Amino acid sequence: MLDWFEAAPGRLYVVATLLPLGAFALLLVAGAVKNLCRPARQEGGRASSVYWLLGGDHPLRAGAYLATALMAVSAALAVGGLVWFLRDADQSGHAARWAERVEWVRVGPPAGPHDAPRPAAALELGYRIDHLSAILFAMVTVVGTLIFVFSLGYMADEAGQRVEDHEVDRQTPRPGHFARRGRYGRFFLYLSLFAFSMLNLLIADNLFQVFVGWELVGVCSFFLVGFFYERPSAARAANKAFIVNRVGDAGFLVGIFVAWSALGTLNIEELTRRVRPEANAGTLTRADPGSPAESARPIDRPGSDLLLYPAAAPAHRPGEPARPPEPDGSMPYTLFVLMGLGIFLGCVGKSAQIPLHTWLPDAMEGPTPVSALIHAATMVAAGVYLVGRAFPLFAPEVLLVIAYTGAATLFVSATIALVQTDIKRVLAYSTCSQLGYMMLALGVGGWVAGLLHLVTHAFFKALLFLGSGSVIHGCHHEQDLRKMGGLFGPMKVTALTMLVGVLAISGAPFFSGWYSKDQIIASALGYGLVHKEHVLLFLLPLVGAGLTGFYMFRLWFLAFAGRPRDEHVHHHAHESPRVMTLPLVVLAVFSVGVAWGSPPWDADASYLGHLLHDSEPAAADVPFAEEHHEAHEVHLVAGVAALVVALLGAGLAAAMYWRSVIDPAAIRNHVGGVYAFLRRKWYFDEVYDAAVVNPTVGLAFAAAAADKRPTDGPADAPPRRFDLLTLDGLLTAVGQLADTAGRGLRTVQTGRLRGYVVALALTVVLLLGMLWGLTSQASGGR
Amino acid sequence: MPETDLIWMTALVFLPAAFAAGLLLFPARWVEAMRWWALFGTAGTLSLSLCVVVGYYAMLDTRVDAGGQPRYAALSRLEARADQAASDAARGIPRYLADDWVTRRPWVDRFDIDYALGVDGISLSLAVLTTLVTFLAVVASWKIDTSVRGYLALILLLETGVLGAFLALDFFLFYVFYEVMLLPMYVLIGLWGGGRRRLAALKFVLYTLLGSVGILVALIGLYSADVRDFVDQEEVKRQAAILHRANPSLTEADALQKVEVHSFDFVTLGKAGRAVMLVLSGQESRLAVRAKPAEEPLPGDDTGPVKLFAPGANREEAIARLKAQPICTPAFQYLMFGLLFVGFAVKVPIVPLHSWLPDAHVEAPTPVSMILAGVLLKLGGYGLIRVAFPICPWAASELAWYVGLVGVVGIVYGALVAMGQTDFKKLLAYSSVSHMGFVVLGLAAWSAGSRAQYWAWGVNGALFQMLAHGITASALFFVVGVIYDRAHHRDLNRFGGLYEPMPLYSGLSAVLFFASMGLPGLCGFVGELWVMMAAWNFSPALAVPAVLSVILTAGYLLWAWQRVYFGTNPETRSFPELSAREAAVLVPFAVLAILLGVWPNVVMSWTEPSVTGWVANLAALRP
Repeated sequence: MLDWFEAAPGRLYVVATLLPLGAFALLLVAGAVKNLCRPARQEGGRASSVYWLLGGDHPLRAGAYLATALMAVSAALAVGGLVWFLRDADQSGHAARWAERVEWVRVGPPAGPHDAPRPAAALELGYRIDHLSAILFAMVTVVGTLIFVFSLGYMADEAGQRVEDHEVDRQTPRPGHFARRGRYGRFFLYLSLFAFSMLNLLIADNLFQVFVGWELVGVCSFFLVGFFYERPSAARAANKAFIVNRVGDAGFLVGIFVAWSALGTLNIEELTRRVRPEANAGTLTRADPGSPAESARPIDRPGSDLLLYPAAAPAHRPGEPARPPEPDGSMPYTLFVLMGLGIFLGCVGKSAQIPLHTWLPDAMEGPTPVSALIHAATMVAAGVYLVGRAFPLFAPEVLLVIAYTGAATLFVSATIALVQTDIKRVLAYSTCSQLGYMMLALGVGGWVAGLLHLVTHAFFKALLFLGSGSVIHGCHHEQDLRKMGGLFGPMKVTALTMLVGVLAISGAPFFSGWYSKDQIIASALGYGLVHKEHVLLFLLPLVGAGLTGFYMFRLWFLAFAGRPRDEHVHHHAHESPRVMTLPLVVLAVFSVGVAWGSPPWDADASYLGHLLHDSEPAAADVPFAEEHHEAHEVHLVAGVAALVVALLGAGLAAAMYWRSVIDPAAIRNHVGGVYAFLRRKWYFDEVYDAAVVNPTVGLAFAAAAADKRPTDGPADAPPRRFDLLTLDGLLTAVGQLADTAGRGLRTVQTGRLRGYVVALALTVVLLLGMLWGLTSQASGGR
Repeated sequence: MPETDLIWMTALVFLPAAFAAGLLLFPARWVEAMRWWALFGTAGTLSLSLCVVVGYYAMLDTRVDAGGQPRYAALSRLEARADQAASDAARGIPRYLADDWVTRRPWVDRFDIDYALGVDGISLSLAVLTTLVTFLAVVASWKIDTSVRGYLALILLLETGVLGAFLALDFFLFYVFYEVMLLPMYVLIGLWGGGRRRLAALKFVLYTLLGSVGILVALIGLYSADVRDFVDQEEVKRQAAILHRANPSLTEADALQKVEVHSFDFVTLGKAGRAVMLVLSGQESRLAVRAKPAEEPLPGDDTGPVKLFAPGANREEAIARLKAQPICTPAFQYLMFGLLFVGFAVKVPIVPLHSWLPDAHVEAPTPVSMILAGVLLKLGGYGLIRVAFPICPWAASELAWYVGLVGVVGIVYGALVAMGQTDFKKLLAYSSVSHMGFVVLGLAAWSAGSRAQYWAWGVNGALFQMLAHGITASALFFVVGVIYDRAHHRDLNRFGGLYEPMPLYSGLSAVLFFASMGLPGLCGFVGELWVMMAAWNFSPALAVPAVLSVILTAGYLLWAWQRVYFGTNPETRSFPELSAREAAVLVPFAVLAILLGVWPNVVMSWTEPSVTGWVANLAALRP
């Protein structure tokens, strides 16, 4: 058993990935059996005893504990694996020990030992562990375990036999209160499937497997957003989340197809070698189309080709210098750009970047632990992860698109977050905005900065969401910030841990967010200094830092400081049970210290950052050497500037919502237009509805109407009337014509002998006439 | 003593018909016994088909290719096995213990019609799908109360027709079975259907007959071709001897020169078609004579000689004879391909010839809808794979882009119209149009040379899509049937809130909905992905609409999901959960949807060598 792990220690990660799937399968089968036996629950007999054995009318709590336990085991394996990996990473040849791949399906006979591998012959499954995936794996499992534990308490209502959902009564008023059975087990069922899909996505070594995980996390998100599916708003949000993500996935598919068709593989490492061989220091080589590979000169203009290199790792003989590989093909450069854009579109959808960000705030309809796990810490970060993972596949043009997308998103979402009053929506827009920071960092070559922010953000945003969950739980499902206030008294643990989260996200020094955000702003400044025309890429995140400080402190002050604004809410408010506050404390510890290094006051010394640096692709290093150098030079300036701006924002929030020096209402009245614009979220939803959704649905109904006329009534006979306006009618008309013709001809068959004789005589005369005419013509011709 | 594989395959085809005959012996009151009898019959057929799979796989696995690899031996391809069998038969070599899963007995000697059956991965996988869906459809038929005897007999007869069509290697036999299955379906819709059943049944028959007429014309046209250089030369000598006896004024040598051999054999006609393609595309020089009775090209043999003529044939004379025939003209090829394509495409169905499908589905009783969607539509796709493409490869390759376009139009149009439906069953019917479009697109993605494996992905995807659609569509029609039994309507806008009273039903439906939507890990994803991978390589202009359709598909299915399962509705609150019988139908479908999605190799391992061989045969024709 241990040998099996020794041979390829990465198998630890496979086991850790499959554990949640095991929990999912067990819960699924148990639930199916229970529901199958439910109709017989009153009748006695075997089915009935199975039903009562599986918990009877109450949801089975054991399933939830099992799922949580397996998740904890998975986290323990991940942490152990991380330690093992870090110790092993210094040894030579470790990459081969931490990666395996098998064929999933293939076409054609398997290649013999001496055959050259055929391109595009097999789709594979495989894993590859490097620093990035090992760290993220540990992060996801640890945060996941904490959230599973938190959910044990937060979802306790669902463990009851009967749950009343007042939100349903509010949205669909009907006589009587709506009540349903509890869904404790089902929640952990979905959560386990999600954990499996997310971990699968992280360890995948090829784009196909990433796509599989990509869609699976999407469907888990669908079911969890729609967990309270009796509420029409939740059902709508679930659909919106899935369909908007599918738009991104369509782009991702195009990216996959281009890679498959032009590069012949989906393995990320092989793809990298195809376009940026190690010997070329991670740069792309472009050439004139049609020119022989030997004379390829680097050129930089539209219409050029990208040279491709063998996918196999170059064979090294010890003692010989590595020779640059020979190109073995080429592809149009525009196609390469299209591939990058396609993959990035997938990331845009998953990471809720403009223009596909609209689903994330609506996804807050799901239970709060879901928002913390899926819509803050892990799933939405998958887009950023993939950009980091597939970084070598992005042309410089695509990276610029990524940077601008990130910059636009971080700014737009931050402005919307300023005026939201639902505690979870503030956090949702803040998530969009922080993901924008990460995208921006990756786009400007700050690979480490972006992914470091991914990790730190996961901890403090999970903390903030769980904190808000604790607030919501304590206030009996009140989410409106305007009704809160003064909750510091009854909810001290929640308030203090959330304050840690607020400080971390605002970039207060020595909190984890400081290290990562500092690096991002420095990278952006360095990029802006090298490319003066893109200075906006520095200004937007700088302004964003101020906005972040403002809206986060606004949230905290509105919830916890000042006087209670709603006596009813405040009166009933209580601190949450231990099972919920404990994860908060643990996450708070991580939010402070996860990025520390030695010395702690040097943002560049973050230990986590150094670890991530070890898996930075060459494509993010060599081509960005100048920018990195500039960023290093101006690091202090950038850091101070960001801190000052964030302080300004926080101070303004304190003045408005704590000390009440400035009256928010006055400002609101002063800039009513801007306020309304932000309240309506820049009108994205309205525009999409008018420009995309409604036309599509309209077109669908028009197509349905043009296809077939709806048939009413029981008339069961071939239609008599012609209907030339629908496709079905047109085709039917062919039959109707034949039918009509037949009916018409039938009238000729009168059955009266005289008529037939006349017709016969006329025909004979006619024929004779024709014969005569023909013969006379023939004789005349002679 | 006949060959064992003849017995197995004949039993597989005619066992349902035998059970249908057995139904006649039951007293009219023994309704429940008739149901069990039919269930027993379909279960037996299902077991038989699985036995044939085992036998076929053993054959595949024990024959190794030149490199010592199993399963991909060129001689285990259907064409090679058929050639070898024909050659053995012509030489009178006994074949009692043949394990080649090909059999041929003269049926109507005067017209060269044979009773020829054979399986390869393509036909056998669809045959298993047929037996499975029919078995589950009989389980789903328990609620049918009117004229049970006739109903069950017709279902069984239908199964014989479909299985015969899948297993037939003789065009005429295929046509007979193809028509045999038409009538039971007509009666099943017309007698046991809903309110407008007669119109729906009439429409079904008229559309399908229109297609059949095209196939019949093509069949006669192809029979007119002289294929004497493609069949075993002993057979030519035999026919020459007959000619000599009938017409003593001819010398034996003259008779040998003059004799013409006509055939309905798919394999022989396919050889002639491929030869015509080489001639018409100016690659006459690649035509060659086989050294052994059975020789097949390997993947990658793209520019070498194509050995189509039978051993002993004279290459120059054969080419001259071929070129002198009308079959070797573009017009004839286009006409044949057009007739065959339209004939089978009606069944697929393609837009705009799909109009019969929604009516038939809406009116047919649930189990008949299951068979219609799960099995009958597959005959269209199978006909394209087995008949239209291999027999008229030149026209198929010339028209490949347009065929692909037809597929894409079906995909997008079906999805759009499905989105505009309010009737649950109609929505599913149009989603069938959309999903079957992928089959046409995958077949059409004709890439040759070093990119032939992309086409192989496409054809594999098309076949897999047929299997996956067979599972999800049958299951979803049953899903509608279940809810129709409770609500007595199918109006999407009047459902809602089903998740709470029927969690098991909803969970199983969720698996099937998402499988139909193409979620990874479920069966619908696999085929669609492969088809789109091939389509992108073939023509991005065709692939992009197909890719965009995944958004539409998610749109209409999730919208339907939202209207049926989400929300609250007092009317559905007291619906009973699935009964054990209903669960017994849905659970196998859901399990298969997951199994095929996670581990497609469970069928791919024995279907894929056949598809690869099919692609190797055709891709080699266009370097």
